[in-house]
Amino acid sequence: MPGYLADLAVPGALELAFVRSPFAHALIGKVSGPAVTATELGVGDLRLGGHGVAPWPWPALARREARFVGEAVAVVWAETRAQAEDLAESVEVEFEPLEPEAPLRLFERTIDAGAVEACFQRADHVLERTFSCARQTPLPLETRGVLAHFEAGRLTLWSSTQIPHILRRGIAQALELEESAIRVLVPEVGGGFGLKAHVFPEELVAAQLARRLGRPVRWIEDRRENLLASVHAHDNEVLMRAAFGADGRVLAVEADLRCDVGAYSVYPFSASLEPATAASAIFAAYDLQGLRVSARAVTSHRCPVGAYRGVGTNTAVYVTERMLDLIARHVGLDPLEVRRRNALRHLPCTTLGGRELDSGDYLELLRRVESVSGYEALRREQAKARRHGKLFGIGLALFNEHSGTGQSEYRSRGIEEVSGLDACRVRVTAEGRIVIHTSSVEIGQNHAPAYRRLTERMLGVEPGRVDIEEGDTDVCPPGTGAFVSRGAVGVLDAIAGALRLAGEQDLAPGTDVTCSIDPKQVFPSGAHLAVVEVDAVTFVPRLRRYLAVEDCGTLIDQRTVSEQIRGGVAMGAGKVLLEESAYGEDGQPLAATLLDYLVPVAADIPRIEIEHLVSPSPISAQGSKGVGEAGTIGAFGAVANAVADAVAPLGAELLELPYGPQRIFAAIQLATTSKQKKGRRPGG
Amino acid sequence: MNVKISLVANGLEWAGEVEPRLTLADLLRDHLALTGTHLGCEHGVCGACTVLLDGQAARSCLTLAVQADGRQVTTVEGLSDDLLPRELFQCGFCRSGFVCSAEALLRREPLPRAVELPELLAGNICRCTGYEPILEALSARLPG
Repeated sequence: MPGYLADLAVPGALELAFVRSPFAHALIGKVSGPAVTATELGVGDLRLGGHGVAPWPWPALARREARFVGEAVAVVWAETRAQAEDLAESVEVEFEPLEPEAPLRLFERTIDAGAVEACFQRADHVLERTFSCARQTPLPLETRGVLAHFEAGRLTLWSSTQIPHILRRGIAQALELEESAIRVLVPEVGGGFGLKAHVFPEELVAAQLARRLGRPVRWIEDRRENLLASVHAHDNEVLMRAAFGADGRVLAVEADLRCDVGAYSVYPFSASLEPATAASAIFAAYDLQGLRVSARAVTSHRCPVGAYRGVGTNTAVYVTERMLDLIARHVGLDPLEVRRRNALRHLPCTTLGGRELDSGDYLELLRRVESVSGYEALRREQAKARRHGKLFGIGLALFNEHSGTGQSEYRSRGIEEVSGLDACRVRVTAEGRIVIHTSSVEIGQNHAPAYRRLTERMLGVEPGRVDIEEGDTDVCPPGTGAFVSRGAVGVLDAIAGALRLAGEQDLAPGTDVTCSIDPKQVFPSGAHLAVVEVDAVTFVPRLRRYLAVEDCGTLIDQRTVSEQIRGGVAMGAGKVLLEESAYGEDGQPLAATLLDYLVPVAADIPRIEIEHLVSPSPISAQGSKGVGEAGTIGAFGAVANAVADAVAPLGAELLELPYGPQRIFAAIQLATTSKQKKGRRPGG
Repeated sequence: MNVKISLVANGLEWAGEVEPRLTLADLLRDHLALTGTHLGCEHGVCGACTVLLDGQAARSCLTLAVQADGRQVTTVEGLSDDLLPRELFQCGFCRSGFVCSAEALLRREPLPRAVELPELLAGNICRCTGYEPILEALSARLPG
């Protein structure tokens, strides 16, 4: 595909612009001007089926009321984007602001496993803390975009998407078209990180207008729209209680998660995405005797919450790893030792949260982190730095994560819209070239070397003879797309299956075979270490060093794995230190530009040291596990703990992300005030 | 009222009438078909749209086309692929901006210290790579 979506030259394409709500909650009155509203558009809702999730669909255009700032209320079009924006500005909407609605509960997941009560009764210590994970947004550098063209009864939709087949399904359903009447094409994608794994209102609008107007219709999102009205992520508050012995052994954990999922339930994941993934990931790398979790999705007048690299696992690992450091401090043990004492020792096993961990060696991960980082020397360096008045912190994280979620898991969560299957079609052309089509899509992961290497290994075909063509629903087999780190799991298994079938036909020209796989989740793991220095005057935290020991099973292409880990760590560090889609009390977004929504730049990220440990998965055919999210997830624990460790000598306790200078300053202030109060207490 | 301008883009002369509000980025992308320059934020922060204006780095989203009148514009299409090859990047969207920023930097300061590169390139956002491959490729060009 030549270029990114905005680079596609389509003669005669009309440009869309949206009229968006300036209010968090308002009745929509008269709309004057050359705009199309929901009534005139006539597009149905994206139905989110399944048990357990209350339907709360995000309409293509707001109907009676707007429910968050930035929600699309009407649409206009013109020959150029500038003209379209002028038109949008000329549209007058009579809004009647409303009071916020009481939060609705859309989904709840509970886990109650093991002897929770008994553990809390006999534990030497109980710690309770409330953590919060900021609302954030994936911020791919390329914003969303869609180009729709309806011709001869067929809709062609170019979209910057991670999910071509799910998009086709969603559009078919909302526009009442046959799926076969829709072709989704994916050009080069300028990053996704989960954001582009949803079917969006703007895509429905563009498709419907292309059908209506008989001309190609294009919409390129601007950054303000992206920050306000694409998807956000996380926004979780977690009340956690841990029962543990004087030896630092954790017996049982209770957690109550409240996930603010915003104004609507996203398609295809629904509002269950964040709470469902977070719930089962709490303390998932550790040996517990009791676990009780309640995780709820509740609505608000904010942008809907969807997927962002790591999804709920980020929150779960953050609260787990922060709690372990607080436990270590409470019993006077080193954080590494506390993790060693609590890490799961015998894999495979099923955790109390229901995760069927396929393989891994968590103690070895910790040993590697200890030896490669020179842990003891590092602690001595820290002691020295502290004597010189420096705020120097070391943070650890041990974690696992799910990758390659299949059909049965989605069905059990009540999600019908995600097939969960991964598929590959292999063709041999008349010239003898091997063409690999998959249900996945290239969004920067660099699939080609891994696919070519596998082809070479299995069939002895030199890489130069292999072409990879993804992102075209007319020629690619139906499947799930590119998310939940499924590339090295189901997609690779499907490729291997299709290559085997093609091999059985001796790769004869004309060979055309397809293999579809229902993958079972496999669990990569990792132990990460971060070193952070917090400026003693400005309280700006700086990441000084980072070590990731990762285990994603068999390495298919080591360079690709390292790139995913490194980029993931940088993104995770940004999420811990900088990123926040903040809102004011009135529901107005406070981060509408990249000067308010901060992400890391080159000066913020040190060289990331990466070590590979290999525990092949007995489940995936290649022994590999997904690696797209592990870097981000690990950084949530390690970077957060490093910042917290840096300011711990001041008595400050950090609980609310992101750990920027304001939060650090507030925590230090709080610690100083409470110390003074204690000091003043009579007889104290 | 449109304004007549002329400029040299990647060595080729271009003359035409433009709206005063037209940005240099939109001129390059929509009128000159130089779509290698990408728009990431359109408010001057992400650096994706960086081009060279008379040899200096400029945000083409914040520069009006009329400001480029009579000047030399160089975009990623006019620069060598060798400085920062495509395979250093993942999604590649930020690449054109990095190429132009790096080129401007090396023209201004042919021998920057490797340790200063992260600060010198802090005006460009990359969401995929963690920056290391980009910085290493530039460091590798410097002696010592």
